[in-house]
Amino acid sequence: MTIADLWDQRISAFLLSPSQFLATTTTESFLAELLHELRKDKANDQLKILLVSVLLEHPTVLCPSASVGEETALELLSVFSHMPQKSIMLKCNIMLAITNVIICTSCLATHTKTAEDWLDLLFQTIQDTNDYRCGLSQQPIRATACDCLREMETCSPGLLSQKLEALFLLKQQETTVLHQSYCLLYTLGLKNAIRILTNQKDVTDLEFKSILGGNEGFAWKSNQLGLTSLPINMLVQVPRLPQGLDCKELKSIMSSLLEESYLLTPISQSALLRELVEVVAMVPGLSPTLFKSQLLRLFGTADVSLMHATLFMKDTFTDSLFTAEDENFLLKRLVGTAQHPLLRIPEKLFYMECILHFPENRPISSSGEESLPVLVTPRLAASLHPTVFNDSATMLCRLNLLCLVHLEVADEGEMDKGISHLFEHIMALLKIVDSDGSREVVVTSFRALFIFLTHFNGMEELSEKLIDKLCDMYSRHSQLAPNLIGLADRIQEHLDDPVWSVKLLRGLQKCIMEMPPLQLTIHNLSWHLKVLKRVAKEGQITQRNTIYLLLNVLINSNLCERGNWQVGNAVLAVCRNLLEHPSIDQVFIELADLLQYISIHYDDTDIKDHARFYYTLLTNLSWEKLTGVLAKGLDGGRAKERSHSAIMAENEGIASNLTVHKTNRHVLQLIKVQEASQSSSESSSESLEATGEVKNWLEVYQGQFQTPGFGSEVTLRYNLTHAKETDPLFDKVFTICLHFELKDSNYSKVSDIHVPCVFRDRKPPEVKVKLKPFQPYPTSLCVSAVFSTQDGRSWHSRLPDVSVSFPEIFLPLPLPPNSSCECKEQVFEHIWEAAASGNPDKSANSLFCFKPEDESLADLIKTHFQGYLITDQQSERSWKVLFFLPPKCHVLLKITQAEDAARVSIATDNWELLPFVNSYLQNITDNCSSTVTDG
Amino acid sequence: MSIRALWVVSHEKGESGKVRFSRRFPTVELRAKSLAGTQYVAVPEDRVIPKLLLTELGLVDADKPYVEVRDDCARQHRSPAVELRLDGPGRRTLWPLLTVTQGALILACLPLVEAPPEPRPPLPSLASVSQGLALLSGLQDFLCGPGAKPEPDVLASRLAALPSVLLQVCPLGRPLDTPPPAGSVPAAVAPSPGGAQKQPAWKAGVHRGRAVVSVALTEKVRSMQYSKSSQQDIWDVYGMVMCKCEVEGVLPNVTVTLTLPHNGSPLQDILVHPCVTSLDASILTACSVDENDSSAFSGPYKFPFSPPLELFRLCSYTSQVPVPPILGSYQLKAEENHLKVNVVLKLHESVKNSFEYCEAHIPFFNQNLMGSVEVKVSSGQLEVSKEKNLLVWVLGQKFPKSREATLEGTVHFSGTVAGPTDPLCTGLTAYIKLYFRVPDLTLSGCCVDQHSVQVYSSAKPRIVTTRELVSSEYYIWNSTGEAPVSSGLMVL
Repeated sequence: MTIADLWDQRISAFLLSPSQFLATTTTESFLAELLHELRKDKANDQLKILLVSVLLEHPTVLCPSASVGEETALELLSVFSHMPQKSIMLKCNIMLAITNVIICTSCLATHTKTAEDWLDLLFQTIQDTNDYRCGLSQQPIRATACDCLREMETCSPGLLSQKLEALFLLKQQETTVLHQSYCLLYTLGLKNAIRILTNQKDVTDLEFKSILGGNEGFAWKSNQLGLTSLPINMLVQVPRLPQGLDCKELKSIMSSLLEESYLLTPISQSALLRELVEVVAMVPGLSPTLFKSQLLRLFGTADVSLMHATLFMKDTFTDSLFTAEDENFLLKRLVGTAQHPLLRIPEKLFYMECILHFPENRPISSSGEESLPVLVTPRLAASLHPTVFNDSATMLCRLNLLCLVHLEVADEGEMDKGISHLFEHIMALLKIVDSDGSREVVVTSFRALFIFLTHFNGMEELSEKLIDKLCDMYSRHSQLAPNLIGLADRIQEHLDDPVWSVKLLRGLQKCIMEMPPLQLTIHNLSWHLKVLKRVAKEGQITQRNTIYLLLNVLINSNLCERGNWQVGNAVLAVCRNLLEHPSIDQVFIELADLLQYISIHYDDTDIKDHARFYYTLLTNLSWEKLTGVLAKGLDGGRAKERSHSAIMAENEGIASNLTVHKTNRHVLQLIKVQEASQSSSESSSESLEATGEVKNWLEVYQGQFQTPGFGSEVTLRYNLTHAKETDPLFDKVFTICLHFELKDSNYSKVSDIHVPCVFRDRKPPEVKVKLKPFQPYPTSLCVSAVFSTQDGRSWHSRLPDVSVSFPEIFLPLPLPPNSSCECKEQVFEHIWEAAASGNPDKSANSLFCFKPEDESLADLIKTHFQGYLITDQQSERSWKVLFFLPPKCHVLLKITQAEDAARVSIATDNWELLPFVNSYLQNITDNCSSTVTDG
Repeated sequence: MSIRALWVVSHEKGESGKVRFSRRFPTVELRAKSLAGTQYVAVPEDRVIPKLLLTELGLVDADKPYVEVRDDCARQHRSPAVELRLDGPGRRTLWPLLTVTQGALILACLPLVEAPPEPRPPLPSLASVSQGLALLSGLQDFLCGPGAKPEPDVLASRLAALPSVLLQVCPLGRPLDTPPPAGSVPAAVAPSPGGAQKQPAWKAGVHRGRAVVSVALTEKVRSMQYSKSSQQDIWDVYGMVMCKCEVEGVLPNVTVTLTLPHNGSPLQDILVHPCVTSLDASILTACSVDENDSSAFSGPYKFPFSPPLELFRLCSYTSQVPVPPILGSYQLKAEENHLKVNVVLKLHESVKNSFEYCEAHIPFFNQNLMGSVEVKVSSGQLEVSKEKNLLVWVLGQKFPKSREATLEGTVHFSGTVAGPTDPLCTGLTAYIKLYFRVPDLTLSGCCVDQHSVQVYSSAKPRIVTTRELVSSEYYIWNSTGEAPVSSGLMVL
């Protein structure tokens, strides 16, 4: 595998999931590697473009702070300036990357030197129009520079507001294809400058003119609009300059921009038009009629972005640019384009949305809701009638639009023919479903039903017919049960009027009752039970027949003997809803019979028990108490104490996770226990003297690893506490099971941890998480918990991720307790020598230097290395430190203080750890010097 | 007017989706964050994108009949934008994700919402949406080309070229242009001479060499014929003019004029290419959604433009013609274990009897496989595809002199293996589909006269004009069965 392939793999992995990728390395080291490779002369441009793409797309991941961002930008800049002239593509990519880094790490917002230099360089580049000497090949560099400047102006509006004259001249001079870039840059600068001026009170003619004539530096301070300046169609009030300013010059500039707009690509043209519309809207001295000359061309355009810009113009200027006739004409064209055979589906869908949100000159309502323009009549919309030949999105979109059209008419009192045609369409869809239409057809048809019903559920005749048809279909296709239940539920939620849903469910109940017994096969029965369970929830539907049917089926079939748990559970689920039914007393005896029958005859102990329990509840409690016991109490507030039914047949699904509720809030969290500084007492005080015989301690040491599992584990201690804000419902939680998921493959699976209880007002319990690394890299764990609350309900909740840093995996040298210092030192030296001589072959040595302040070195060693010290010769200013990392890695440090710097010699038997060691040392020494300076 | 991210995802049947290409625009993301404030929803990592996207498009768990997150009837899929429902706390959604699906490829981009996030702004109020749509369309043409499905290696090489294409058309998330369609390489191009005339941004250079202007007019005719008094037959025509202009100069002027015969019905719903410089108002007035107005403007239709280098669609139109080119009737009768078939096709006298090809496809759905077929045709040949339950009647280049051809006979379905199914064509609901192409003919009568093409340039160009009529969705339904309604216009 070549280096390029290797990088290709790594970068693909990074782009697919930066978080997973960075779990195996550090950001600093990855960034350093990237920049290192970029600086190599040997690497080809293709590889370098790939490397740059990481910074281009994820600058904030690799540069988490402004200072790293600035350093990275400087690095890239130096790579950029050393690049041969022919590497055009690479240069452009680097320019974009620098711009992204500078903007995203807030170098631009905080006005750093690097941002300033970069801006100067970009501006010089766009001014250097002499690139003919290198042929046209250098053009992309200038185009990219323009794009970068435009992005910087967007993110810091007004930055170019004092350079408009220069930009205007550049735009005028440019006759190559690049004039589009200059034109867009200039227009954006102009619009922002005017927008900023509208914030100012009393604008004089001079101030207004000085915008156009500006030829000074970058306006760093003018960033008054911020990143969040909205386009004018989103503003309640369009900012405007005062009346009476002299607009002659601006007007001629606008005219020339409009005249040349034709030379821009359609997408860029649409962007230009939008900027110009905003300018005209802000400057009272400019008349919208400026655009008149462009209108016809725009009305006829086949380009979606230009048509959209035209609608924006319409929205902004209404009747000051568009007559009533224009409006009518534009709307007709929209209807025409919304079904044009040569346009693509997404575009047509978009045009239909545009009809629903058509900017009328005189809108009746101004809410953002879908509402039809008054001009859309049934006649006009007829061509958008949905048909069975449409793709599903088009069909649903058309149906919705046509429903709105005919609803208007229906409101006027008559049930028009249009509605019956829509109804016929729905029936045609159902006919296809009835002929075994595919899943997609079924789903689309139910969506169509939903749209139709939400508009026309009031038309009784039609909605009754629909119910008949649906029940009729159900009798042949019981697998439609979940779709039908879903429809009943959604319509009920949506209309606040349960009538239609109740009618449908009553119809389905009747349909099941009337089925010949042969059709009640095991397979169909499970669908029917689902429906009956839903039917039993409706207080307005009598349930006697349901009970008779269930009893009948159980008595006259071999279901009881077969004792299938799932079927039994589904029957009980119906019973459970029946228990809560308000008119239970009318069917009391029948239900009791049914439950008793199950409890005696059903050949499954669990089902028998549940049935007996329900029977007891039914026969011993009043209805109020019964429902109280059964109530799930999901509707906010404290749940009823111990609702036994929570563990009962309630959920379809499998037995194992009956009703585990899910909460999206963090209920619990794990907080690292702060170790009291390493208790190294065990070895330091009373060490066993090396007894007479001279042992080879290394052999002893290595011998230990013969014992399976020796030294393979790191134990981390956490307190399990409540997360900050939670419901009082979770104040006391019980039988917590913590489950850990690894985000990478560097560790073996972490076993679940069980904790009896956590109370908010008590001391948090401590949990020990045992990690077994394959590779001792930093990691982070996804933690979830299943627990019960006082009301007996079970919950599943995520905990905040737990991250395990590199030093947390350090262990002291695992020698038997009371081993003497000499033994340790002997082992240390052996490993050191082995590593130095390259044994094992993953060994490596390295050096790290830093400059400690006076006494800080000793402090540093005390705070960070105390438990890992092998020797401590403070007098000679020299220390030896050993970190053991499971499964069997060692990091050895020899720290000596030279005159002006501390040297840390590093040896390890696994070179892959070096980046982590490096960033760890960096980290602690940074802190040390900062503490010192603070003090 | 920017997009936050762009994806190309592939999903082969039975496999989970795979991100084939993605691009994020961090500066746009920064703006998105600042615009949305506390309601900001970050773009998830690529590894989770396919699952989220395919769930929304209803393409996951193909083996399960009902999955609530996928199939809920209240979730309306009727917009070019979908929302991705993200896992994790708060159940946040990412909106509006624009998607384009072609075969196993899904192209998606996430436009920047330059509006307060709540309440959700209407799609047409967001400038980035149409730009995103245009970008996706261009991307679709670039990746897939004119064919339906590019070969895997071709697709891979086009995907590999995407980064450099995006560098030009969308370097920092702000679309500047659409990618060039696959395979469009302009012929001899010289760099712009660099005079006072500004070079259009949509034209990389100028043409050098022989001047040729080709104008090709293609009309497509659609029809649904029922042969019933209760259901009215419908047909319509739409046309497009494709141009390729190899003419010298930075902004050469070309004018193409479409003319209709005397009494021709006006061209409607005319859409023009952005390179058309000016339009006469009367050209745009006729609209298919309007009442027909015979006094409307009926040409000549002049289109002055300055051409780009590549082949482009100058304009398109629809037209309502008085008669369909081929009038058919189809009768199917069920008798015991066979079907009696009777088809009559009549070529209208105004249509030139000279086809490049003409075929009638007669499929039988929801039946067992065919056994014996005893069918006679009065003209042409019959091909029988038993494994597809399909009769193909090849009429060839000409109808007989009488301009009428018949097919008659019986088809037995004696097999025990079930043939192809179709939920629409049950019982006696059945159709014939016609495929034909007639060179040098348009139904609307519209034509581009070679002499009417004006080119204002120093060299006299060679001018080539062609026209053709092609069938598209041309159905004749069995008159003895029920047939689905196919257009809203006929319900009026």
